[in-house]
Amino acid sequence: MGDRPADLPEALGRRISDGSFTSGLSVAEFAACLELGLEPVGLAQGFCAMQWSTYAMGGAFARGIAPYGGGQGGYVENYQCPHGMVSGEHRAWGQNYQQTWIEDAWLKGFSSAYSRMLEEAQALGAHGVIGVVDTVGHLSDLGIIEFHLRGTAVSVPGATAPPTPWSTYLAGQRLVKVIEAGFAPVAIVAAVASVRVWAYCMTEYLMGGTAGFFGGASDPVEIAQIVAAQLTAREIVRSSARTQLHGDSLHGASVSVLEREFEKGDLEIQALLRGNRLRRFKEFDALAVPRATVRLS
Amino acid sequence: MTGAGDETALNLPAELRRAVASLGGPAAAGAVTTSDLSIDEELNLHSLGWEPLELVSGYSVFSVAPGYWSWGQGEIASASAAHDGAFRHAIARMHRDAAAVGAHGVVGVHVERVVASSHVEISLLGTAVRPVGTRAIPADQVFVSDLSARDFTLLRTAGWEPLGLAVGASFVFAPRRRVGTVLQQQSQNVELTNFTEAIYAARESAMERMQKSALALKGTGVVDVKVVEGPMSFASHAVGFAAWGTVVRMVGDAHQLIHPRAVVSLNDLDVAFDARKLE
Repeated sequence: MGDRPADLPEALGRRISDGSFTSGLSVAEFAACLELGLEPVGLAQGFCAMQWSTYAMGGAFARGIAPYGGGQGGYVENYQCPHGMVSGEHRAWGQNYQQTWIEDAWLKGFSSAYSRMLEEAQALGAHGVIGVVDTVGHLSDLGIIEFHLRGTAVSVPGATAPPTPWSTYLAGQRLVKVIEAGFAPVAIVAAVASVRVWAYCMTEYLMGGTAGFFGGASDPVEIAQIVAAQLTAREIVRSSARTQLHGDSLHGASVSVLEREFEKGDLEIQALLRGNRLRRFKEFDALAVPRATVRLS
Repeated sequence: MTGAGDETALNLPAELRRAVASLGGPAAAGAVTTSDLSIDEELNLHSLGWEPLELVSGYSVFSVAPGYWSWGQGEIASASAAHDGAFRHAIARMHRDAAAVGAHGVVGVHVERVVASSHVEISLLGTAVRPVGTRAIPADQVFVSDLSARDFTLLRTAGWEPLGLAVGASFVFAPRRRVGTVLQQQSQNVELTNFTEAIYAARESAMERMQKSALALKGTGVVDVKVVEGPMSFASHAVGFAAWGTVVRMVGDAHQLIHPRAVVSLNDLDVAFDARKLE
């Protein structure tokens, strides 16, 4: 059992002292875990509730005054109206910009919950955490986002405890195959990218289906501002994940892209990437070409 | 990888201790790879002598000119052209992404598609791959395939190669019936031939376009074709039909027979015994 951090909840300290383990593994995953030589020691969890009000920055107040983004660093791209002065309500300029403060807040919430989960695992004497599950959701309707990470803390009998427990989203047979294939789990990887789009007139017309009337484009055309924002969000999230690899590889990644419109012509594109950072610890011989089978039931 | 009953089975706990010991220092120098493949899929690729390189994506959104969805006759050409343009641009960007990292192809491409009244949006995500130790090839020779790494392995083993994605789509307006016809048919269960014909017209155009794009890639067929068809939620008289799949070509002179081995799973897929029915 490692040294317990002083700020662990009192009830957790009692549970640790009682000795029996808890786990989020299915029976099959539990069996695979034992076959691999891992001993489950407890269900480690970490939470973080973050105030989430920064979406209100800018908005209608800033529109039409001047391009807003760019002061926070990161990606910025401006779009100028091709029509000249039309009216005060005309979207004379548009802008895509990276919302670095949203990314920073998300990463802070996720990292805090993650490090608290590892802290609990370490207090249980664990060497690693397997089968990690993370959820990010609204806590009440007060603009609070809750980050919750949980996984089964495990120890490796006969091995020296690492300074920080390793972690992986994998468990069961998938984890066994990873080890067999010569990869060691290092850590889970999570990255987020947030790009805000303030549409200029052409984007508004094209997305709203009124380009033929106002924009002069009756044939289908690519909507450049949205394309740039979408591609940039994907690029940022992949680059951000790469910075967490430190020479290791990313496996089993999943990328989800969410688009939400706050008001007409004002939207956020958020890309989220999760995956497993793995390190090759041995060379392995390539498999023979797999034999095909047909299942008769 | 070893199987049950294999005499050379690994000592898993010893392998695990070796793996954990490697975490004590920094990673060994080598190329960093990123992929969305499962470990099974990666091992499948390695068995063929291929390796994953990088997670790559493609995206495009095209506008649809206003006024086409609600009135008219025949194909809604603006929507069909927008679908075609968005797919072509998204695929071209994925080609560029993959070629930039020295890939020869992209496997397991996830296709996300949104057809709205004002625009068509296509998003692609997959893993760039190449035969181990080979050099980069020009972007236009990189294949993009929505086959999983497992299916890619099976395809190559059978002596075929993927060449790219073939896509076809068509949106057709179902003409409105005359008032007299509507009143006459109101209380009857009858076929609405205007809709049936519209679906057939959309299907024929879409399948023909997919076939043309396959021939343009010099393929001999398209496998794993996905079909999405039906009404447009935002336009009561428009129907759409879209199809896409992976274009394939035989590499050698003849198909390689795989001779799959039949297996019977011992898992019960259906409950054969229900205790609640016992008297």
